[in-house]
Amino acid sequence: MRRTLDTGNAAITEGAILAGCSLFAGYPITPATEIAENMSRRLPQVGGYYVQAEDELTALHICIGGSLGGLKTMTATSGPGFILYADPLGWALGSEIPLVVVNAQRVGPVSGITGAPGQGEFYMSRYPTQGGNYETIVLAPNSVQEAFSITVEAFYLAERFRMPVIILADQLVTDGWESLSIPETPAELEAMRLKVIPRRVKEGPEFYPCTDAIDIPPVVLGHNTGAACSDWTPTPEGYDTEEVDFQHQHAYRLIYKVRNNKDLITRYESYFMDDNPELILVAYGSPSRVVVSAVKQAREKGWKVGALRLISLWPFPDEIFKVPAKYLSVELNYDGQLVREVQRAMPAGSEVHFFGKCGELPTVAELEELMQALLAGKGIKARNWEWEAW
Amino acid sequence: MDYLATKYLRPRKIPSTACSGCGLGQAHKKVVMAIDELGLATGDVIWGTGIGCAGRQTFNTWKGDNFAGTHGRAYAIATGLRIALPPDKKIIMTVGDGDAFGIGFLHLLNCARRNVDMTVIVLDNLGYQSTGGQYGWTTPRGYRTDSSPYGMYEPNWTQDGRDVLNILREAGATFLARYTSLQGQEAVEAIKKAILNKGFSLVHMPYPCVTNFAERALGTRKPVEIYKWFMEHTCSMHEKGPADFAFRTGIYYDASNSRPEFAELVKGWVADIQRRYS
Ligand SMILES: Cc1ncc(C[n+]2csc(CCOP(=O)(O)OP(=O)(O)O)c2C)c(N)n1
Ligand code: SF4
Ligand SMILES: [Mg+2]
Repeated sequence: MRRTLDTGNAAITEGAILAGCSLFAGYPITPATEIAENMSRRLPQVGGYYVQAEDELTALHICIGGSLGGLKTMTATSGPGFILYADPLGWALGSEIPLVVVNAQRVGPVSGITGAPGQGEFYMSRYPTQGGNYETIVLAPNSVQEAFSITVEAFYLAERFRMPVIILADQLVTDGWESLSIPETPAELEAMRLKVIPRRVKEGPEFYPCTDAIDIPPVVLGHNTGAACSDWTPTPEGYDTEEVDFQHQHAYRLIYKVRNNKDLITRYESYFMDDNPELILVAYGSPSRVVVSAVKQAREKGWKVGALRLISLWPFPDEIFKVPAKYLSVELNYDGQLVREVQRAMPAGSEVHFFGKCGELPTVAELEELMQALLAGKGIKARNWEWEAW
Repeated sequence: MDYLATKYLRPRKIPSTACSGCGLGQAHKKVVMAIDELGLATGDVIWGTGIGCAGRQTFNTWKGDNFAGTHGRAYAIATGLRIALPPDKKIIMTVGDGDAFGIGFLHLLNCARRNVDMTVIVLDNLGYQSTGGQYGWTTPRGYRTDSSPYGMYEPNWTQDGRDVLNILREAGATFLARYTSLQGQEAVEAIKKAILNKGFSLVHMPYPCVTNFAERALGTRKPVEIYKWFMEHTCSMHEKGPADFAFRTGIYYDASNSRPEFAELVKGWVADIQRRYS
């Protein structure tokens, strides 16, 4: 095990390399630039390729091309670049191209504050392109170590599900420095419960079978299999078609390969959830660190509160919202995004509340005040526009 | 069926669904002829396309491996594919003028700059034809289209001393030619040279669109009229041609195999770094 002190950006780089990534294409943007820089240094050392693209649109298309040629590929950006992925991410979802996309979220909209964290692309990572008829896989680390392991896992899921996997990080996770352990032997990798699988190659004649099954090898060009992939609705052989039956089959596959194998994706942590807490805080990414601290302190005071920390965001883990309770979603935005899913997923008899911060973390003291109010049956008071204003 | 089609193309896609009288088939056939005359097998070529008539009519016609990018992006996909593929595999793309010289132009320029090994055949029907016939960046000035009902008035990429091939040459392309689909073996020879160049090659191939372009610009869908119009406007690259505009044809630039190819450059660079630091 190699133990170091490093950033989330470095952790993502090392995770990708361990997972077998051999092509990275990117475009500089704070707070993900360091991933590109680290990749430009590390990839050549392991025989991989770094390409600096003319924009994010190109970067992700280069990754698609590399993956289509049989390489494991990754790109990384922040919000202003993530929106340019709409076109290639749609293509990769539709043509079932395995690759990994990192979004180190910063506060927005548009350029916002470059060095401040945000959580504005929660829904955008669910619907990163047009047309509907697909599911996405989105994972959200809250520490440097988890940024490493989630990257390894993202590559693993990408290969098994034949699709892009999005890592939705935030500036505090990618820029933050923490201790990082990197496994160096297969046994150490296994001890971390991480798996790496090699790229396989789909043989014809069916390249896009109508099934919800995973572990179908990806379509790879250059093996003279007669493979065909395009932006059009495919027949199972990959011919472009305008027949609506094939559209149904294609949509079925893109949606249900994810939905019907959701148990392989869903990851979360629960804190103090065994005694049906009265109030449950929900968060992902860096605010979840504050949430967990605040809930631990509250428990020391004897308050009946718990927390759910989401690690996989999409497909949304509806099934973990079992306890009727007061739910409080804590997020890094003022408009309230995660809270809408919590409201949808929570069981009957529950109540939902929202606390958003914009460009900075909440404090334990702020959360304590909110918990106290909610436990006392008071609605939480709007202070400026931060509370309950979604 | 035609010998070439039987050998290289998929019966399910040939004949294509292009309008009758369309020149696209002539252009498509020239590319397949060039491949055949070079003695390439289906497994030697990965065929890429974009969207539009050019993309839709040629996608997955090739018996080997195929891809089609979204509008304008096939060049960026091909850049990644080039790095992943063995160097002896040929990437050949048949794309529209709107795709290459409009929405995908930034990618095209950067492929030229990097000298990425691919052969781009721009099947130019003088505008956006599969969307019904709007003007594009090679539509000759003055001609009517559905979106230029009073005549195309903008500067384009091929008139007033401006030539898109010169821009691509400046950008770093190593093989550039222009032939119309009506020209014969000389066009096939140029495509062969383009394929043999280990670097970025582009052949600009204007062809007659009877249904949309001819109907609006010339007032008739009769194939013979636009074929005649094409012949009248075709000259060699050294000639001035007719006063209104001309397809100036020939090999514009042949610096085949004279500059490092991008994927080889990247791979050599990586090998060098590994040697230096191992
Ligand atoms: C991003 C995007 N914008 C617009 C379209 C609509 N569209 C479909 S075909 C086409 C025409 C493309 O023109 P060209 O590349 O010259 O191909 P042609 O149909 O003329 O062969 C357009 C604009 C699209 N598919 N994608
Ligand atoms: S619209 Fe024009 S270019 Fe397209 S197939 Fe018909 S004739 Fe050919
Ligand atoms: Mg066109």
